[in-house]
Amino acid sequence: MKMNNLIYAPALKQEFRCRVPLRDARQLFLVDGSVQGAGSPLAFRLEDGEQMDKMLQIIGVRSEGGPQELEFEDTFHFGKGSSGKIIQCAHTFSLDLFKTREKVRITLEEGAAAEFVVMQNEHNRAVHETSYDISLAAGAELKMVFLSLHGGEILNRIDVSLDGENASCELGGLYLTDGDQRMDYDIRLTHNVPSCRSNQLFKGILDDRGKAHFDGLIKVVPDAQKSEAYQANHNLLISSEAKAYTKPQLEIYADDVKCSHGATIGRLNPDELFYMRTRGIPMAEAKLLQQMAFAYEVLEKISSDQLRERMQVLVEKRLRGEFSRCQNCSKNCC
Amino acid sequence: MNTLLKIENLHASVADKEILRGIDLEIKAGETHAIMGPNGSGKSTLSAVLAGRETFTVTEGSIIYDGRDLLAMAPEERSWAGIFLGFQYPVEIPGVSNVNFMKAAVNEQRKQRGLEPLGAAQFLKLMREKMSYVEMDSSFSGRGVNVGFSGGEKKRNEIFQMAMLEPRLAILDETDSGLDVDALRIVATGVNKMKRPDNAFIVITHYQRLLDYIVPDVIHVLYKGRIIKTAGKELALEIEKNGYDRLIHENE
Repeated sequence: MKMNNLIYAPALKQEFRCRVPLRDARQLFLVDGSVQGAGSPLAFRLEDGEQMDKMLQIIGVRSEGGPQELEFEDTFHFGKGSSGKIIQCAHTFSLDLFKTREKVRITLEEGAAAEFVVMQNEHNRAVHETSYDISLAAGAELKMVFLSLHGGEILNRIDVSLDGENASCELGGLYLTDGDQRMDYDIRLTHNVPSCRSNQLFKGILDDRGKAHFDGLIKVVPDAQKSEAYQANHNLLISSEAKAYTKPQLEIYADDVKCSHGATIGRLNPDELFYMRTRGIPMAEAKLLQQMAFAYEVLEKISSDQLRERMQVLVEKRLRGEFSRCQNCSKNCC
Repeated sequence: MNTLLKIENLHASVADKEILRGIDLEIKAGETHAIMGPNGSGKSTLSAVLAGRETFTVTEGSIIYDGRDLLAMAPEERSWAGIFLGFQYPVEIPGVSNVNFMKAAVNEQRKQRGLEPLGAAQFLKLMREKMSYVEMDSSFSGRGVNVGFSGGEKKRNEIFQMAMLEPRLAILDETDSGLDVDALRIVATGVNKMKRPDNAFIVITHYQRLLDYIVPDVIHVLYKGRIIKTAGKELALEIEKNGYDRLIHENE
């Protein structure tokens, strides 16, 4: 499917629309796993050398009366030297007990450049497992920012293969849990050839009885010399019952590499809180400012100012304990 | 003149170690008091207790500020009531920009006084005006609070924040430490611009140097958690000449 063949104004528009769509963005709706208007799975393809002029916003929804259990696959293919930006979001439109298993295959051919922002915002009874299978050819550049804002159980398996020299992959992730939510990230990133770069930053803020598991493996195969691979996972526990499990791993079989990883689990800084309070900022607000600052390091990876600011508002609302409802949405269900 | 602050027989400790051992101090509106004393005498503890730091426990005594029981108030309530602490070691808050930090602070103060929040343009105008008090470059507003600031820049930022919040009682805890002569002059000029008949300053310092610029009405010498001497501004010169030893000996 070519970009130009996509249907941007589906029938659903009457029911669900963005009052203020992002500037320079096209919208496509993925209803219960298939492209609205086309009825087929999402198969996005950029031909060699094709440059997307606008971002593509893929709005994934689970609709009322739709199947409770659903499995589907999306593919994204970026031809040689092509470039594009994708925003993909997942929402639930009714309080049905949804279970979604999604496979996402992303292929970047030589010299392609892609940026993905993935926003997951489902209700507390929804379970969403997504397996990302990603491969990058020589000189390809991929940036992906995951924002797991809300959901009963969210599991993201991310498998990245750097298959061509000088490929570069940057992954950012922010996960926010409260109530009894659980969010897991399971990452396998493999440097299969020399001279590739990868950088990962995943941060979580966990409140109430929220749980998160981070399991991240960087593997550098024997011949992948001059690899640069970095990984960091930081968790902020707001309540005494929240739990974060983190397992950063490096498996390095080459000897000329630069690799590092680090993981922390901590709490809000009392010195910073006191400093803010002496300026008249109330405790709750001081805590929020600190959490926003913690989250911002991930948000700032989003290159579009407009999208970043919008995501920042959603994160802030979320941290205030509200469901991350975008004020631009006509539907207040999610 | 009105009494703004009255401290009586104040005892405070941290982890069962008594640091303040009976402080009495009265400050009237329009006055500037300097508190001097050797290291470990309890100067910073006094300022922290006034600002409401919870690591210190007040075991005895009272603090009445503007007719209210200060010890019953949370740090933010004290700020709303007009108390400001300029930190000896200002805290870095990565990720929170100076402008957002100040916006949150100023608008909260306004909310407490029943005022509407300032609009973006008004707020930036106020920021610029107050930054000029301490010759701070506007590029600081977008940077994280105190992050990557030099010692002098941090102290100027404290005075800038004070200018934004217009407190009635400002406590400056060793604002002069780590400042070169130029920065000292800038900081002191900023403070002097804010002196009014209805506000008061407590200036905590080791050195007479700062008091050449910010001239106090009264100087207190704190030693081992007690005020051992109170006199006029000439006391600073005497301390500069003879050190604290003579005063300490007179007391022991």
